[in-house]
Amino acid sequence: MFGKLTWDAIPFNQPIPLITSLVILAAILGIALWVWRKGWWPYLWNEYITSTDHKRIGVMYIVLALLMLVRGFADAIMMRAQQSLAIGASQGFLPPEHYNQIFSAHGTIMIFFVAMPFVIGFMNFVVPLQLGVRDVAFPTMNNVSFWLSASGALLINLSLFIGEFARTGWLGFPPLSEKAFSPGVGVDYYLVALQVSGVGTVLTAVNFVTTILKTRAPGMSYMRMPIFCWTALASNLIMLAAFPVLTVVLAQLMLDRFLGFHFFTNDGGGNSMLYMNLIWVWGHPEVYILVLPAFGIYSEVAATFSGKPLFGYRSMVFATMAICIISYCVWLHHFFTMGAGANLNAVFGIASMIIGIPTGVKIYNWLFTLYGGRVRFTVPVYYLIGFMLTFVVGGLTGVLLAIPPIDFVVHNSLFLVAHFHHVIIGGVVFALMAGYTYWFPKAFGFTLHEGLGKAVFWCWFIGFHLAFMPLYVLGFWGATRRMQHISDPTWAPWLNIAFVGAVIIGLGIVLTVVQLLYSIKTRDQRRDVTGDPWDGRTLEWLTLSPPPHYNFAVLPDVHGEEAYWLRKQTAIKQDQLIEEPDYQPIEMPVNTPTGVIVAFFASLCGFAIIWYIWWLAILGLIGAFAAFVWYAWRDEHEHIIPVEEVRANARERRRVRMEHLHSLSQST
Amino acid sequence: MTNDERQTIDVAPGEQHDSFLSETLSYVIGLGLALLLTGVSFWVASTSLLWAPGVATGLVVLAIAQMGIHLVFFLHITSGPDNANNVLALAFGVLIVFLVMIGTIWIMAHMNMNMAPSPDMMDLRMQRG
Amino acid sequence: MTAGTEAPAIGLTHRASEDTGHGHRGPESKSIVVPYGFWLFVLSDMVLFSALFASYATLVGATDGGPTTSQLFDRNLVAIETIALLVSSFVCGLALITAKRANMAWTQFWLLLTGLLGLVFLSIEIYEFGTMIAEGAGPQRSAFLSAFFTLVGCHGLHVTAGLLWLGTMMAQILAKGFRQHIIRRLLCFSIFWHALDIIWVAIFTIVYLIGTLP
Repeated sequence: MFGKLTWDAIPFNQPIPLITSLVILAAILGIALWVWRKGWWPYLWNEYITSTDHKRIGVMYIVLALLMLVRGFADAIMMRAQQSLAIGASQGFLPPEHYNQIFSAHGTIMIFFVAMPFVIGFMNFVVPLQLGVRDVAFPTMNNVSFWLSASGALLINLSLFIGEFARTGWLGFPPLSEKAFSPGVGVDYYLVALQVSGVGTVLTAVNFVTTILKTRAPGMSYMRMPIFCWTALASNLIMLAAFPVLTVVLAQLMLDRFLGFHFFTNDGGGNSMLYMNLIWVWGHPEVYILVLPAFGIYSEVAATFSGKPLFGYRSMVFATMAICIISYCVWLHHFFTMGAGANLNAVFGIASMIIGIPTGVKIYNWLFTLYGGRVRFTVPVYYLIGFMLTFVVGGLTGVLLAIPPIDFVVHNSLFLVAHFHHVIIGGVVFALMAGYTYWFPKAFGFTLHEGLGKAVFWCWFIGFHLAFMPLYVLGFWGATRRMQHISDPTWAPWLNIAFVGAVIIGLGIVLTVVQLLYSIKTRDQRRDVTGDPWDGRTLEWLTLSPPPHYNFAVLPDVHGEEAYWLRKQTAIKQDQLIEEPDYQPIEMPVNTPTGVIVAFFASLCGFAIIWYIWWLAILGLIGAFAAFVWYAWRDEHEHIIPVEEVRANARERRRVRMEHLHSLSQST
Repeated sequence: MTNDERQTIDVAPGEQHDSFLSETLSYVIGLGLALLLTGVSFWVASTSLLWAPGVATGLVVLAIAQMGIHLVFFLHITSGPDNANNVLALAFGVLIVFLVMIGTIWIMAHMNMNMAPSPDMMDLRMQRG
Repeated sequence: MTAGTEAPAIGLTHRASEDTGHGHRGPESKSIVVPYGFWLFVLSDMVLFSALFASYATLVGATDGGPTTSQLFDRNLVAIETIALLVSSFVCGLALITAKRANMAWTQFWLLLTGLLGLVFLSIEIYEFGTMIAEGAGPQRSAFLSAFFTLVGCHGLHVTAGLLWLGTMMAQILAKGFRQHIIRRLLCFSIFWHALDIIWVAIFTIVYLIGTLP
C-alpha cells in the first residue's frame, strides 16, 4: 500500500537530521500560523503564489534561493567542522554514511536550488523591465516553472526528514549510484527532484529566449539591448540546449535503478563512462548558465556606478555569444583522467584555454568602464572589484587545470574544490549579492542599509579567502576531496584556517538577514521616491519603485543604446518630460493556481516514485494532466486595467519625476 | 504595427500562404518526396548493387534530405526574412545535436579503445616481447 | 498623436522610431510568439533525442552475448510504421488547412485520421516490443537493448503524449470552435507531430536500416 515507506524511514536514531527536521517543521508551522493570524494568506495567494507577474515570480525565486542557501551553508559548515575535528585518532562527529550525504546535498542544493533560482530570479525580475515590455512571453508558464523548481526543492528537503539523501556526490556517478551499491532511496530523491525542477528550467529557457528575441520595446534592436539581456539570452540558450541532456542521463540512471536496465551497470554491457560523458555535456554548460548573467550584472553595475556607458558594448556581445558556443566544446576537461587518450585531452584542453579569451575581453572592458569614470563606491561596486580580484585568480587556476598533465596531478583533489569555489563564489555569488543590493529598491521601494551591506561584503571576501586558499595548498599536498577523515596531522592548521573562513562567511549570511530585517524596519529613512536611486542608465529605472503590475503605461520608444539614459539627459537639458501620451486600458494576464497545483501533483508523483507507491504515482500524473487540461479549458486569459488607473499612476510618476528634474537642474 | 497579422493566422512559424491550393500542394509535394526518399532508403539498405562501405553514408544522406523535406514542406521553414529567427534557432539546435552526438561518439570510442584488455586477453601468450 | 511644435530630434515625442531593423516594431503578436516558443521547445526535444542517439551509438555493440540488431529487427514492420507516421503527418497538415478555414467537419475528420494512423504506428511498435520481451530480448537483457528500448520507446512515449494532446484538441475544437488561441495550439500540435516524424526518419535509418546492414 505504501511501497517501501515505513516508520523506519524517519531518522529517529540520528540526532542531527532528526533535530534539524523538527526545528524546520516547527519553524514552518510557526510561520504559517503567524501569517494566518495576521490575515496575510489571501494577500500571499493573490499577489505572489498565483501571480503571473514576472516581478513577483522573480522575488519568489530569490526567496527560495536564500532559504536554500541556509541549508546549503549549514552543510558546508558541518563539512568544515568535521574536517577540522576528524584528524588522526579522532573520527569527528559525522560517520561516513552521514558525511557523504552532507557533501552530496551541499553541492546539489547550492547549484540547483541556490545558484540557479537566484540567477533565474534576477532574469525574471529585470529582463522584461529592461526590454521595455510588460511581461515575459509566457507568463503562466513562468509561474509553472517556478513552482516546479520549488517542488524539486521540497523533495530534496523531505529527504532530510523521511529517508535519506544520496551519498554519491552532487552528480551521482555510477556504478556507486546504481541499485547494487546504493540500494536506499537517497539517489532516487536526488534523481526525481532534479527531473521535476529540470522541466521547469527548460520551460524557463523557452520563455526567456522567446521574450528576448521576439518581444522588445519599439526601437530596441538587438544592438540596443542592455548587456544584461544579452547575457540572459546566452544563458537561456545554453539552458535550452543543455538541460535535455541532463534529463536523458538522469532518466537512464532511473531506468537502471527502477527497471533493471543496463546503461551504466557493471554487468550486461553497461558503460559507466557514458554517464560521465553525458552528465558533463550538461555540467559544463551549466556553469556558464550561472556565470553569464553574473557577468551581465557586473556590466550593469560598472556602467551605472562609473557614470559612463559600458566600454566595448559590441565586443561584450560577441564575447558573450562566443562563450555561449564554446561552452559546448570543453566538457571533457572534467574527466581528463578517465582515459580518452592524449589526442582528445589535447583538443579539449586547448578549447578550455580558448574560452578564457572572451572572458578576458570582458574583464578588460569592465576595467576600462571604471577607468575615467566618477566611480561611486557603493556596495555593488565593492562586489564588482572584489569579483575582479577574486575571479581572475580563480580563472587562472582553471587555466592550470585545463592542462591535462597538471590535471592528472590535482584532479579531484582539494585544489579542484578550491578552484570551482573560487570562480563560483568570486564570479557568481558576488554578482548575486551585487544584484540583490542593486535591484532591491526597484522591487521594494527602499534601499538596503549601506553600512551593513559593506560588512556583509567584507565577511564574504575575507571569509572566502580564508576558507579556500588553504585548500589549494592541501590539494598540492595530495588531499583528496570529500574526505570524512584526515590522516595527516600536518594538514590540521590549514583546515582550521578554512574552518575560520567558513565561520566568517556564516557571519556574512547572518548579517545579510540582519541587514534585511533592519532595512525593513527603518525603510522610511531610505525610501526610493523617484524610482531611480542610482542614477541608472537602463529602462527599469524609468518606472517608480516598485513598478505597477504592467510596468509601463506606454511602451517606451527606444532611440539609442542606453534607452533610459538618453531620455533622461534630454529631459534634464530641456527641463521637461516627454510629452504625455494617449493612455489606453491595458490587458494583463490573469493570475492562475495552475502552477502550484501542477507542482503539488508533481511532488506527490515524485515522492510516490521514490518510495515505490505506484498507485499514488499514477494518481499524481493524472492529477497534473487534469490540472493542465482544466487550465487549457479556461476562456478568460486576461483582465483589463482601466485607463483611469493607468493615467493616475502615470501622472503620479510624471509628477515625481518633474520634482526630481527640477531639483537636478537647480543643483547644476 | 502588425495589424494584418492579427487578422490572418500564420500557418506555421513565419510563412504565410494565401490559397487553399498552394497550401495543400506544399503538403502533397512533401508527402510525395518523403515517400520517395523512404522507398529509396529501404531499397539502398537491402540491395547488393551498391558498394557496401558507402551504403551507410548514403542512408545518412537520404535521411538528412528527408528531414529537410519535412522542414520545408511540412514545417515551412524557409529563407524568408520573417523566418530568420526560426532558421537561426534551427541552426543552433543542429549545432548542439552535432556536438553532442559526434562528441560523445568520438569520446566513447576512444575510451573503449583505451580500456584495459579483458581477463582472457591478459593471457601471457598474447603479450609481446 | 498630438501634432506638436517641432520637437528636438530624439526622445520627446512618441513618433515611431527610425527603422533600424530587427524587432524594432515592438513586441510581436501572439501568433508569432507562441509558435516560435514552441519551436524552441521542439529543438530542445531534438537535443534530448540526440543524447539518446549518442547513447545508442555507444552501446549498440554491448550485447552481452545476447541478441543483436540483425536477429531482432523486422524491416517490413518498420516500413509499415514509417508509412503510417508519414501519412499521419500529411493529414495533420491538411487538418491545419481546413482549420484555418473554420471547417469543423473536415478538420475533425483529418485530425481523427491523424490519430488513427498514429495508433497504427503505436500498435505495431507495442507489438514489436512485446515480441522482443517475450523472447527474452527485453531492455534488461543487455546495454544495447536498454539503449534501444529507451530511444525508440521515448519516441513512442512522445507519440502517445501527442495522441493524448490530439484527443484533447479535438474535444476543445468541438466545444469552443476555431478561436485564435485554439488555432495557435493546433499549430503547435502540428509542429510537434511533424517533429516526431523527423525523429522517426533518423530512427528508422540509423537503428533499423544501418543497424541491420549485412
